[in-house]
Amino acid sequence: MSSHIEVERLSKTYRHPMRVWKVIEAVKELSFTTDPGEIVGFVGHNGAGKTTTIKMLMGFVRPTAGRISLFGRQPGDPAALKRLGFLPERPYFYSHLSGRELLRYFCGLSDIPGSAAKGRIENTLRTVGLADAADLTLNNYSKGMLQRIGIAQAIIHDPELVVMDEPMSGLDPIGRREVKEIIRELKKNGKAVLFSSHILADIEDLSDRILIIENGVRRSFGPLTDIIPQQDISWHVSFAAPDRDRETLFAAFKGLRATSGHFTVTIATEQEMNATIAAVLERRYTIIEAGPLYPTLEEVVFRMKERSGAEVRHG
Amino acid sequence: MGKILLVARYTFLEMVRHKVLYAFVFFAFFILGLGVAITQMTIGNEIDIISDIGLGTIEIFSTVIAIFMGIFIIQKELSLRTLHPLLARPLTRPQYIIGKFVGMLLLAVVGILFMTAILWLMLRFYGGADRIVIYLPALYTIFLQTALVISVAVLCSSFVEPAVGALFTISFYLIGATSYNLVYLINRRSSEELKRVVNFMRYILPDFSHFNIKDNLIYGKGLENISLSFATLYAVAGILIVLAVAVIAFNKKEIN
Repeated sequence: MSSHIEVERLSKTYRHPMRVWKVIEAVKELSFTTDPGEIVGFVGHNGAGKTTTIKMLMGFVRPTAGRISLFGRQPGDPAALKRLGFLPERPYFYSHLSGRELLRYFCGLSDIPGSAAKGRIENTLRTVGLADAADLTLNNYSKGMLQRIGIAQAIIHDPELVVMDEPMSGLDPIGRREVKEIIRELKKNGKAVLFSSHILADIEDLSDRILIIENGVRRSFGPLTDIIPQQDISWHVSFAAPDRDRETLFAAFKGLRATSGHFTVTIATEQEMNATIAAVLERRYTIIEAGPLYPTLEEVVFRMKERSGAEVRHG
Repeated sequence: MGKILLVARYTFLEMVRHKVLYAFVFFAFFILGLGVAITQMTIGNEIDIISDIGLGTIEIFSTVIAIFMGIFIIQKELSLRTLHPLLARPLTRPQYIIGKFVGMLLLAVVGILFMTAILWLMLRFYGGADRIVIYLPALYTIFLQTALVISVAVLCSSFVEPAVGALFTISFYLIGATSYNLVYLINRRSSEELKRVVNFMRYILPDFSHFNIKDNLIYGKGLENISLSFATLYAVAGILIVLAVAVIAFNKKEIN
């Protein structure tokens, strides 16, 4: 099973628009791959280089260095584009066309014959929940509806991979939930999705693998559990014990908390957790739960940022 | 070819629904109405006056539409980012540029036909409906000139801001409309060296005198000393050169 996207040591530099002697490094030696059927979340703060990377993937801008392969082809290759869907950030389309006309246009651009296009358009409109608004011109669409028609044009040709730049940006909670549902549905139908966002909860919620980029440099790439540094993982043991033993337990276990009918110990390492489990069992209490406690993606990114700031200060 | 026509079709559809276009149509009616008013106030052949104002209006409005719709045609897509999903489909940049040009051309054809219909109605009112057949070559050369202006507007729109594009395209039109007379005047009164420079410039600067045949047709000179084939060749060659530059410039452009 070969990767959909292969990016190797990709870099992009720009000249500063006002001070032409100044070079801006938007992306620095970025490498990653995406596989069929997986959702990859691309995370970074504003200006981290996410959109520039996506533009290079799509062939809109040329890399300064490095290599991109899309389905084994160059970016912009028509054969690769046929297998790829794209949703730009804050999509905007011809305001005087209706939703149905726009999709007909994109069917034509995707070489879908007229006979097949009709059914495809109706199905896609239903998928994105715009069947009732299909004949309204796009200047009557709300932001959420524009986002959904944007997704519709990205999936109308049944691509294997959909690249979305900030698909949840500017949407209210309901709109965000709807877009997330569509992304989940795509995965369920065997499609791969690469989407960028700076809303970490969305990335955490949807992604199989997460690519973290900071100032154009890859900070981390993998499933959330793999990208968390070991020192950020804590361990816990929850057990049930009679309330009369409370004082003895607080004396015996450091970091103990009593919560509605049971006790929880939070410790720093797996070895300490095993020792705690042994101590609890020795006292003949019942273990309810034990295992690692992962920080949220937000905490991971925040700590990474703190550490890189400390590196810069000490370096 | 299919993709070019597809882009052209939707470009036309989007523009023809644009409200700005209806303002131009309104102005066309207004100017032609003004022609009627002038015929009431002047002594002479009303049909000639109506024809003169009518064909002049068609030329000016076709050019104005070409410039003001053309200079926004690609820049607007870049700034609103409607271009990105298009180029994410199996559509090449040359297909896109040429499609946009053909779409604008369709708009020009419809605009010229619409204004010609108004002119015909007015001529009919004054009993000169059959004159419209005589004016067909003039309408054809107006179309050629408009097509050339559209190609320049598309070129400008592919790599400069609309304001700069408008300035450049209007300058192109003004130079084209006046270069023949300027060269004529300079040749009459200047030194030999300047004449040589000016005559050389004639081959570089646009010259719309090849398309200006309406006076001949209105005032009964017919097509003497006029070559429609040369006008066609001149326009087609110009359009091909300008579009080739537009395609090269757009191919190199980073779509941000």
